[in-house]
Amino acid sequence: MFLMETIPLIILRTLWISGTAVVLSLLWSLPLAYLLSRKHGLAKIMVPVFDALIGVPTVLIGLVLYMLFSSRGPLGFLGLLYTPYAIIIGEAILVTPLITSTTYHVLNNVISTYGELALTLGATDKQAMMVALREGLPGVLASIAMAFSRASGELGIALMVGGNIKGYTRVMTTAIALEVSRGEFESAIMLGVVLVVIVVSTSIAIRFLQRKVYG
Amino acid sequence: MAIEFSNVWYRYPGSRKWVLSSVDVGFDESRIYVVFGPNGSGKTTLLKIASLIYRPVKGKVFAWGYDYWSLPNSKRIELRRRIVYVHEKPVLFKGTVEYNIAYGLMIRGLDRHEALVKARVLLEKLGLSYLADKKTNGLSAGEAQLVAILRAIVLEPRILVLDEPFAHLDSSKRDKIMELVLELRENGTGVVIASHDVFLAKAIAERVIVVENGKVLKPD
Repeated sequence: MFLMETIPLIILRTLWISGTAVVLSLLWSLPLAYLLSRKHGLAKIMVPVFDALIGVPTVLIGLVLYMLFSSRGPLGFLGLLYTPYAIIIGEAILVTPLITSTTYHVLNNVISTYGELALTLGATDKQAMMVALREGLPGVLASIAMAFSRASGELGIALMVGGNIKGYTRVMTTAIALEVSRGEFESAIMLGVVLVVIVVSTSIAIRFLQRKVYG
Repeated sequence: MAIEFSNVWYRYPGSRKWVLSSVDVGFDESRIYVVFGPNGSGKTTLLKIASLIYRPVKGKVFAWGYDYWSLPNSKRIELRRRIVYVHEKPVLFKGTVEYNIAYGLMIRGLDRHEALVKARVLLEKLGLSYLADKKTNGLSAGEAQLVAILRAIVLEPRILVLDEPFAHLDSSKRDKIMELVLELRENGTGVVIASHDVFLAKAIAERVIVVENGKVLKPD
């Protein structure tokens, strides 16, 4: 039960790390998805690759990053191993295929449907794009919610490049793993429930936002 | 001619199959055209090229005398705004019916309030005021089709292009649209209707254009 007093901090750290990872990934995933939705030839090659990478094992990303960030690795001089930043980078990479692929499918659909519709009503290319983005926003938000769930629920990266250091890199999934290894099932279950509540609440909040905006 | 095709060929990106081949056809204002042909014959593609949405792969499209696709963007927009195309399956924006009808006016620079008032006036004229505040995701297929057509009509286009406009409509709504089409034609608007309904073609068409396997068989 020693975890009880630190659980709020672990929750906050998880939200911070996963949230930052998703925001970081959005910086390149959204432009990439937009680019793919405009370049059909490139999309034909790249989208199946991204689709396949959605299910990449997190330990594999963790292993690659561990080798890069370890003191003998090519990026070892950055001193990122066993820091929250290493987890953020790993989770940002993890959710990139998910955000890119789902956003691409959303944009592809809305650009061809609503973009064209706006053009038929006399919109300029820019106005048509704005309409398409507006119509596609609920889908993009849903993709962000999925990415957040994936990031906050992963274990491999957080364990391998975060190191589960108490008060520093311990997040909910690594804390659950630790509690189970100690036989502290009560704490592990409680953390698991909190994790599920966070993930479900995020999804509900986004749906609520969509309804509020679009009815 | 308002819109004139000169040896137009079209195939979709990534496809080798020509959807339209060597098409020469024209559409003018103040006339009702019915583009007639079976499903998959290329009617919709022809209509979208005529509406200046699709760019032909080969050939030219002249809009009010201009070689449309060689014009600068600003001129293209000006010409494209003279034509409005209505999809076969009505696509509506999220939001209210009123917003949907007002959208085209707003992007043309009309003040939002004025655009919404104009949308309401049109709905009132047709006895459809009850639809104004309705969300589009709650509409029946027929209502959605009607709204899509009204959204085009409110823009007072010089050419109105309707792709299978009666597909989802009951007889009362169909009559309403027919009345509107005839009224528009009286006011100088050219109306192009794609249909595979031979009776409709005979009933209202002043010109019938038959499309089969991507070719115009009978340009009138």
